[in-house]
Amino acid sequence: MAKTILAVDDSGSLRQMVVFSLRAAGYQVTEAVDGQDGLEKAKNAVFDLVLTDQNMPRMDGLTLIRSLRNLPTYQKVPILMLTTESSDEMKSKGRAAGANGWLVKPFDPQRLTEVVKKVIG
Amino acid sequence: MTREKQLGSQVRSLLSNLSEHGTQHLTEVETDLMQTSFLLGEAIEKLGASFMAIHEAVSAQQASIGLLLSGAQPTPELAEQLEARHEDIARHVNAAVTGLQFQDLTNQLLGRTLRRVTGLRTVLDVIGSGSADISEKNVEEIVKTLISINEALEEQSVKLESALWKAVCQTGMESGDIELF
Repeated sequence: MAKTILAVDDSGSLRQMVVFSLRAAGYQVTEAVDGQDGLEKAKNAVFDLVLTDQNMPRMDGLTLIRSLRNLPTYQKVPILMLTTESSDEMKSKGRAAGANGWLVKPFDPQRLTEVVKKVIG
Repeated sequence: MTREKQLGSQVRSLLSNLSEHGTQHLTEVETDLMQTSFLLGEAIEKLGASFMAIHEAVSAQQASIGLLLSGAQPTPELAEQLEARHEDIARHVNAAVTGLQFQDLTNQLLGRTLRRVTGLRTVLDVIGSGSADISEKNVEEIVKTLISINEALEEQSVKLESALWKAVCQTGMESGDIELF
């Protein structure tokens, strides 16, 4: 059975690239348009991995991670940030919030799938 | 301080604040637009190269398939060629997908520019509305009005700056770093 991934990003074109890359590698991907949408979808199904952007309307990535980590079902689910933000300060905040990794945009599809494979197989 | 000196001091503050904040915001707008231009230029260059490379690889693959269709024996060399073409295509498609992400980066920069320009217009509106009936006031009232305009100008400018965190520092379209915690 294919591993499931929740891809959260307010940019439709970026989500399209993530979905294209991960589906080609055999993963089942669900899209969410921002942190709030991501949280609602995460409450309805437990994904094997969450990949989220940081700067989004309604709810940003760090808030989403903190909210997910408060859910019993998401305490150990890997969460990766995929964002344009690249400062050490933001990475530290991500780590403190509960992120398991930080990927800076733009991403290379092959490297993205390699990382995802390393994290969830 | 005489009323005239107070008036002169407030006018000087107003003009100097307006110049300082206006220049600061417009310089940021200029920087963001230049960064957008660099990213767009590099993305178009990379996408053009990727599409040409995909076209070449697909044409070469088609030639190999054409050979097989015309009755050629599927030799190990031909199989290797087809495998190599397949890998070439995948590599070039990956490069194109990286390049296509320019829209996300430039959209954030343009959004920031738009918010800054809109904020700057609000700052100018504050000055315009504050000074609307200034000609009918006496010197003391004019000084009070100028103090109020200066405070509003400072407040609007700080509010605008705090809402404009720069999230995009990329100046090129090469793929970003990856760090697992």
